[in-house]
Amino acid sequence: MAWVQRNRTTLAIAAAVLVASYVFYYAKNDIAPSMFGAAWGYAIPLVLAALVGVIGERSGVVNIGIEGQMLLAAFAGFFGAAYSGSMIVGVLAGIGTGLIAGGFLAWTTVRWRMDQIIAGVVLNIIATGITSFYLKSGQTLPGVIPNVDVPVLGSIPLIGETFFSGRSAIALVAIAAAVLVHLSLFHTRWGLRTRAVGEYPSAADTAGINVERLRIINVTLAGSLAGLAGVYLSMDASSSFERGITAGRGFLALAIMIMGAWRPLRAFVMALFFGFVNAIASQLQQSGLGQGEGTGFFHGILGAITAPQILGTLPYVATLVVLALAAGRVRGPAAAGQPYVKKDQ
Amino acid sequence: MKSSRYLVAVPAALALALAGCGGSTGTSGSGSSASGSAAAGAPTDDSNCASADVFCIGLVTDTGKVDDKSFNQSAHEGAKAAQAETNGFYKYIETQDAKDYAANMAQFTNKKYDVVVTVGFLMTDATVAAAKASPDTKFIGVDQGYPEGTTEKNLTGLIFPEDQAGYGAGYLAGLMTKTNKLGQVLGLEIPPVQKYAKGFEAGAKAANPSVSVTTVYHPAGDNAFNDPVWGGGEARKMLAQNADIIFGAGGNTGNGALQEVAKASGAGTDKFCIGVDTDQWDTVPAAQPCLITSAEKLISKGVTDTIKTAKDGEFSGIQTLGQAGLSSFHDFDATIPEDVKTKVADIVKQMEAGTLKTGVTL
Repeated sequence: MAWVQRNRTTLAIAAAVLVASYVFYYAKNDIAPSMFGAAWGYAIPLVLAALVGVIGERSGVVNIGIEGQMLLAAFAGFFGAAYSGSMIVGVLAGIGTGLIAGGFLAWTTVRWRMDQIIAGVVLNIIATGITSFYLKSGQTLPGVIPNVDVPVLGSIPLIGETFFSGRSAIALVAIAAAVLVHLSLFHTRWGLRTRAVGEYPSAADTAGINVERLRIINVTLAGSLAGLAGVYLSMDASSSFERGITAGRGFLALAIMIMGAWRPLRAFVMALFFGFVNAIASQLQQSGLGQGEGTGFFHGILGAITAPQILGTLPYVATLVVLALAAGRVRGPAAAGQPYVKKDQ
Repeated sequence: MKSSRYLVAVPAALALALAGCGGSTGTSGSGSSASGSAAAGAPTDDSNCASADVFCIGLVTDTGKVDDKSFNQSAHEGAKAAQAETNGFYKYIETQDAKDYAANMAQFTNKKYDVVVTVGFLMTDATVAAAKASPDTKFIGVDQGYPEGTTEKNLTGLIFPEDQAGYGAGYLAGLMTKTNKLGQVLGLEIPPVQKYAKGFEAGAKAANPSVSVTTVYHPAGDNAFNDPVWGGGEARKMLAQNADIIFGAGGNTGNGALQEVAKASGAGTDKFCIGVDTDQWDTVPAAQPCLITSAEKLISKGVTDTIKTAKDGEFSGIQTLGQAGLSSFHDFDATIPEDVKTKVADIVKQMEAGTLKTGVTL
């Protein structure tokens, strides 16, 4: 009960959102399910990438190289599958590449104490360069990542339809990863140590935790999630690798991490929110409000706000609003961005 | 510690070099080592472009590559063909950043190239400015319509009746749809794309008045033609809202939509997709399960023909009209009913003859 007391605002908002979603679902059943589906489809790579950011910063390493990690993994996954003729090889190649990129970031920032922002930028530039240079066009995937329908759960209206049916295994892994990272971060010994290392590394060091080793392990392993996000982009959400296929999603994920207050489940919800605003934007554009024939002042105004260029800013405007509301209330891990230097005399 | 820092600096510098700054180039002289049977006297470099006997063709891409499976590639192939036919010299520059348009064109004009081809609507203003500055070089702007009052004699914009290609595709879709719902997933909202889209809608409504067409343009500028994930997501949403034919027009963004339809259940039996610009049966093999046709503009042929007029001296100023139409039905030839094929062929013929107007205005 104490937990309910402490979280009553969050719970009230959650309940309101849930009720509103179901009302919308039943009131507009012709478009609502597809909009929730589009929101989740958009959110999947953002959830995975935001988790990478959360794990990194919770351990004290700012990771702005997520974009590059995803790009490299998308590249390796697609071409791994195309050349080997096996989707599984492609997926593993993508995840492996994500791990290697994570390891690169971990090693440079933790062991060599390179500036974390610069290391991330280096990773992004390397990824853009390598994937543009070695791109070969005309390749196709040997198959598709099969959809998984979860029995029972999949038949729940709205929630089951959106999250547990008609999506590939990667979507399920994204859900599982968010829950798992949350539980591990706040309810296990590893989580306590990780948070300690990210907040106050010298205290953690005094308590006998190997700060460098924990940071390297965390950042490297988080790379596998970035790898999976990349694989999703090139092998599931589309069936091709193009230059810059990540289209800024790695940076978006960082905003979502902050909106989610460095907490995995809140980041999950924020990614969904972002996806849904995006779905609204395209739905408004599709319905063509104010774009057709007609004159008059209001028609002109309506036409101007529903122009695709303006509607396209909707998700970003929403991000700004949420970040402004959250400003001052959320605080990132104190030691994020600072290499840990042992003061041993 | 110190030495290990270099280990970071080296890959970083390497990556910068790979990412490139000004743009990458490629050449194709007819005396290239690959083909030993080059005609005698064909130029092998661009050092003599100023001479009247040496015909030099330069091509500047939009921010895309010559293997983009779309208009840059088509223009590149057209220029290559023209090089072979004119026994000249050909070189291209791939633009990395829109700010480099002028500098890339200057690389050719400084060496007195005879013809410079600039690819894409977005280069319109830069091309007009370059044509003013270099009256001795002839400029061909693919997809570029110039404003009234443009008088440069050394400049022609190669434009295509995209609305006709779109109209034909829309007419076919209007006859083929069972749910009476069609979708369009488009790139940036610029005239060539709008002409396709409005033509498609007009054609669909002409064939089937009860049809409804939903249209989305990619909202962002920089990657509007290069976001297949977004395109796929939009196509998926339209299919879920009961659309059964999706027209993907917008580079890789549109290709993402085609590929998504190809993966949907019922692809090729009751869900179809229509490609754009080139015959995408060849350029996007992953879309083959659903691709009934492509609204095609014959960029390669247009570029080749216009370059040849530049050499022969019959170069016509300001605007040149290319051809557009529908590509072959490929494997869906048997799926599409005979009477539909006849009707569509009839419509296309009427548009070519000029008796049928699409009614598209921008």
